[in-house]
Amino acid sequence: MSISRTSRVTGLSLAAALLAAACSTGGATTAPSAAPAGPIDSPTGSPASGGAAIAVPTPPSAAITLQGAGATFPAPLYQSWFDAYGGLYPNLKIDYQAVGSGAGIKAITQQTVDFGASDAPMKDADIAALPSGTTVLHIPTALGAVVVIYNLAGVATLNLDAQNVADIFLGTITNWNDPKIAANNPGVTLPDKPVLVVHRSDGSGTTNAFTSYLSAVSTDWSTKVGKGTDVKWPTGIGAKGNDGVAGGVQQNDGAVGYVELNYATQAKIPAANLKNADGAFVAASTAGVTAAANAAAASFPADNRQAPIINGPGADTYPIASYTYLLVFQDQKDAAKAQALVAFIAWALTDGQAAEEGLGYAPLPAAVQQKALATLHTVTTGGSPVWP
Amino acid sequence: MTAAAVPIPDHLRRASGRERRAVVDRSMRIVTLACTVIAIIPLVALLAFVTINGVAALNVDLITKPPRALGIGGGAVTAITGSIQMVALATLIAVPVGLSAGVYVSELAGHRTAGVIRFAADVLVGIPSILVGVFVFTFLVLPFKQYNAFAGSVALAVIMVPVIMRTTEEILKLVPGDLREASLALGIRRWRTVLSVAVRVGWPGILTGIMLAVARAAGETAPLIMTALGSRLLNIGDFGRPMDALPLFIYQNARQPYPALNEQAWGAAFLLLLAVLVINILVRARSLRGTSR
Repeated sequence: MSISRTSRVTGLSLAAALLAAACSTGGATTAPSAAPAGPIDSPTGSPASGGAAIAVPTPPSAAITLQGAGATFPAPLYQSWFDAYGGLYPNLKIDYQAVGSGAGIKAITQQTVDFGASDAPMKDADIAALPSGTTVLHIPTALGAVVVIYNLAGVATLNLDAQNVADIFLGTITNWNDPKIAANNPGVTLPDKPVLVVHRSDGSGTTNAFTSYLSAVSTDWSTKVGKGTDVKWPTGIGAKGNDGVAGGVQQNDGAVGYVELNYATQAKIPAANLKNADGAFVAASTAGVTAAANAAAASFPADNRQAPIINGPGADTYPIASYTYLLVFQDQKDAAKAQALVAFIAWALTDGQAAEEGLGYAPLPAAVQQKALATLHTVTTGGSPVWP
Repeated sequence: MTAAAVPIPDHLRRASGRERRAVVDRSMRIVTLACTVIAIIPLVALLAFVTINGVAALNVDLITKPPRALGIGGGAVTAITGSIQMVALATLIAVPVGLSAGVYVSELAGHRTAGVIRFAADVLVGIPSILVGVFVFTFLVLPFKQYNAFAGSVALAVIMVPVIMRTTEEILKLVPGDLREASLALGIRRWRTVLSVAVRVGWPGILTGIMLAVARAAGETAPLIMTALGSRLLNIGDFGRPMDALPLFIYQNARQPYPALNEQAWGAAFLLLLAVLVINILVRARSLRGTSR
């Protein structure tokens, strides 16, 4: 008797766990079609075409496995890189788990991985928490953007200026037919529908970039809410991860949220055009992000810890862009692993950049690419440089 | 006949009252039936959902190939083999411990000790499994500076032990005391009585408990995130390195914006559901046979 009761209860709780998994799958998929993702520009092994090819080191010929963990946002890019690089050097295996930026920083700090990854650069407090005598290098690999996604039947394009975005997320604009939004959208019939804000419930580099933008454009926001990977939202409902926010927006008419550009692109969710510093409404695109990065490249900090690039100058510039980083120890304990790691990253920063745009990431501006390669040259093992 | 002799109270005599009670009775029947249906809907919907989406996603690649970027041409063989290996090792660890503890509580411990241990086991069953993962992380991952499948197995074993222990104890309680007394009366020693009489008679039920624990462990995600971590590389037998598991695979791929990855998550969810269902059905068949005996 007691057996059958236990089994029934266990069965149901397992069912509930599976249902949760099933629901998030449903939310992430816009069209449940069997069609695979669009063709990808697979990086090839050939040296960078055109211009002066940079001579990159090669990994050792012994069998080596590198372990990484961290940010979710660049995971598809990194996994494409690992597959391509593994094709060039089958003896080198690179494993990466998308556990989140915070967990990536934690993992490298606790030395449980060979490299970490994070969307937001490490904070001073994170750096202070590193084992004494160690230095972690920030190596930028790609750029992303935060886009404002919306769900409004019949509204194909939506223009929002910075004040609109701030007012919506502050909760002071509560209806889509608000004259302040209408002023930016002549000729568009905005529905009489309440605004439902969907924001992240978990700490996130995406939230950090988005709230940096809101703080920069709105004094109300910077005094009342502020910026960070997790903030106290004045309005709206919380959802976990890019997929949670995307699902929340897609399932509610009148909803608005923010996700990474590549997520919106792949999931085909409409995103608003944002007004940039030059007064133009720009759709989020890798080109707009590259423009933002180029405009800010001169002020790229010496330690590579670049804050989100907000409202950069230029007519094509998208106003919210941010770098994503690989985190590696400057002094490596294992010489063979160090050689493999440096060789891979050098390849990713050069040949690997070609794969980025096809996947919805913006490649590094040339100046930042040079800085990243220079940083890679400073990696040492046993006191001597790995890539002299 | 005697009805006339005994005066019926007014409130029972009134026809309207009887009707009202009949209406209340009928409506409560309907309410409870509706609630039962509501309780079953998620299970049925889930089975249908996962089966429809999962079967469509099944293919040879899914069960033979390791993951590839964006899911194109890749599969879940790392997760399938990882789940089997980690759950197997966890079972090897948990069965002796859980079984012995169950026998101890049922057969050997005093009333008070048994109560305390039982309470502790119940608390352990109720602990959020992510905490088990964090706990194992601190002493099997941090000191070695390496996520590893062994830590994942230990975390799963920690979740399995109280389940096995409690079912073992419950089953042994159902073994008639007469059998034990008869055995002892024949001069058979206590340890022999416990092993050859009590455990022997209760064995089908104990096995049921073990299989339930296996099913539970196979579906756990949280304790593995900080221990086995998950992996995109095929790992057969190297418990010192990270290893993938079906729940981790589902969790990772369900959250991606790439349809190919979502499909693989459905396929993996179907495989996991199938495994858990088969275990549950085996358990049910066993317990039915046990009662008919």
